[in-house]
Amino acid sequence: MEVLEDTGARGIFATDAGGTAYGMPHGVVIARTAVQIAHLLQAAQAHGVPVTVRGGGLTTEGESVAYGGVLLDMTGMSRVLALDKDALWVRTEAGIFWAHLAEALRRHGMDYLSAPLNLTSSVGGTLGVGGIDVNSARLGCSADQALALQVVTPTGEIVECSDSENAELFQRVILGYGQFGVITEATLRIRPYTPLRMHYFYYSSLRVAIEDLQRLDASDASDYSGILTIMDKAINLLVAFDSDEREAQFDARYRATLRGSGEAAFALRMALHYALRPWRWGEALYLWRRKRQLFPEFRRKEFFRGDRMHDRSVVFSRAVWRFWGSRQMVIPDLATAAAKFADAVERGNAVCRKYFPRYTLYCVGIKLREDHRAHYEMSCIPPDATIRAYGCEFEPLIGEAVYSRDRLQSFKNEIYDIGVEIGASYYRFGGMMKGYIRRVFGDALVERHLAMKRAADPAMILNRDVIF
Amino acid sequence: MNHSDCSGCSLCLLVCPAWRETRDVRLTPRGRAKARQHGASAAEIASWLDGCTLCGACEPICPESLPLVDMVMELRRERPGAEIAFRAAPVSLLSTHTVILPGRALGADEARGQRTLGLFGAGHALAEDDGNDLALALEAGRPIPPGRLSAFLEPLRAAKRLIVAEGLLLRALRRWLPKVPAISLGEALSVKPAIREKLRPSDLYVIAARPFHNDHARLVGHYDGLRNASGCEMNLDLQRIAIPAAQARWILEGRQVARIVVEDVSDAAAFSFSAAPVLHLADL
Repeated sequence: MEVLEDTGARGIFATDAGGTAYGMPHGVVIARTAVQIAHLLQAAQAHGVPVTVRGGGLTTEGESVAYGGVLLDMTGMSRVLALDKDALWVRTEAGIFWAHLAEALRRHGMDYLSAPLNLTSSVGGTLGVGGIDVNSARLGCSADQALALQVVTPTGEIVECSDSENAELFQRVILGYGQFGVITEATLRIRPYTPLRMHYFYYSSLRVAIEDLQRLDASDASDYSGILTIMDKAINLLVAFDSDEREAQFDARYRATLRGSGEAAFALRMALHYALRPWRWGEALYLWRRKRQLFPEFRRKEFFRGDRMHDRSVVFSRAVWRFWGSRQMVIPDLATAAAKFADAVERGNAVCRKYFPRYTLYCVGIKLREDHRAHYEMSCIPPDATIRAYGCEFEPLIGEAVYSRDRLQSFKNEIYDIGVEIGASYYRFGGMMKGYIRRVFGDALVERHLAMKRAADPAMILNRDVIF
Repeated sequence: MNHSDCSGCSLCLLVCPAWRETRDVRLTPRGRAKARQHGASAAEIASWLDGCTLCGACEPICPESLPLVDMVMELRRERPGAEIAFRAAPVSLLSTHTVILPGRALGADEARGQRTLGLFGAGHALAEDDGNDLALALEAGRPIPPGRLSAFLEPLRAAKRLIVAEGLLLRALRRWLPKVPAISLGEALSVKPAIREKLRPSDLYVIAARPFHNDHARLVGHYDGLRNASGCEMNLDLQRIAIPAAQARWILEGRQVARIVVEDVSDAAAFSFSAAPVLHLADL
């Protein structure tokens, strides 16, 4: 087994996408096979060496940063192993990026169900934390599309697990934040590929937009839905459809009931709003510029055939990195039951306004699987959510601005404090935010999981700085 | 141009042929940039540079718009390398034609070169000085003697237009002669109706990676139009980035194609394992 120990190789992994947590592994191992990983974990158990597993490294709280020990780079295991178009499943190595999986599936006219909109999340990393897409209100989170996994346990056993085989391990590994094993292969549900047609509705009230979003989701009125904002001014409800039939149904039954407006009416409303507030013309200029930059990115000709968007994951992800990415990213979030969601977003929005002049909110529903209730324990899915949970990311648009780490941390804390008060959960509760785990889940549950972790990982070597 | 500007998004990995081949992040733009950010010297990462094919696929998708090809060439310049045998060419006559620089592979194939020239017709001429030694120097990161450079550029200054097969040379010529329009040979041929009408839906059209990525914002629409009009498949990934011919097996995976049509003659060899005939655009 090759362990890379030179400064360059170790330095590549010194931080994650958040860019606020730093640590250096003593060595890096590029994952190649489950057997190799099993040997690594056996040796690590024997010698008490921490092993930090990393896929795309798109964590923001240092969850994939190694503070010493070995960093295991899972992207070395990126092959698609088998595909069954009739039974609608694909078997893949878990270090694969969703973008590469999509590419492989497209050669066969297929697509995955849902995946994070950033292209460079890995399948294994996503299954360990959730994975939210703009179709999650209908199809659930990415973790729920896993049918079976090959897992290397912290003691180095290679185990196949699913809802029917080694179900307890499956429950712990899915949404398990990497505590109970390294996912080396995954069997995922897939579907036929379809281009989509998008519609945008503009709102001046977050609460109204959220109410409409939840009403659409509850009625199964669209195939894709979500809210994306620029501050609390440009509030955009996005809906999209895989088929003409679904779109026609939406037009006939739901479109007229939405309280959002079209682009022209929104522009007029904004013009009136800022005409009466000349002291806020800087903000108006920002919104106008942002729209001018952003909209063409969503309408690039090479991704359209007629009015249908192809490869939505690429279109959205390109925009995400170009317009939302920066060298430092803090993206605190709140995940709540449907009934609490509007309150949570409004309170989080007030915190954003207090800390940053420019920010964005991204809200989406997550359909739950009752048969996976055990998977959701101590995860981003709030325990009181039924049928659907809702998540909102609160992201300051930092750009070239410089903020102290204290300010960024205080911002995150204030958002997370809301979660503690209202009984929510978080997508990003590991790493630097793990202090919230006991506050939000309670000691009893955390102690129970800690006992399971100690039993599964006696030397506590696997991803030791993430949760416990 | 600075390695510290890399935010570490990893988008470059998705399109990097070296990464697709090895899954070794050290060989990618992100790997090099992050290593430099965290203290590795140019000498320490010198051995990682050989994996880069300078295809430029990483540039159009970099959200920081970093000149990643130039950054590799600069790192290559910092390390010792083999000497290039530069051509001792006398200054040629000024050309007022559209000048074609056919590149090494097409230049060595006289019959195909003449056929290509024939497709362009009057007002076009093959360059007397092909600049292949300069292309080699660019690729290897070796300095180009000023005298050799001016001897190469002088006859091209009055050219109406340049048509350049070699992507690195095209990139450099755009910088050296900003007033002379320069396009790739692939683009110049693919706009010709005589060629477009011969493309079939069952063809796989292989875009030459370097020139395409060097002018991606403009050319992505051109090739999308060609794909729409002809119905042929292309070596594009989902991000509309050209997968270099070196990844021929991946390009062909899951595809049934009747012919493989390459823009760059030197790409043909990569598809030699395929049962489908491989044609250059000028062979259509």
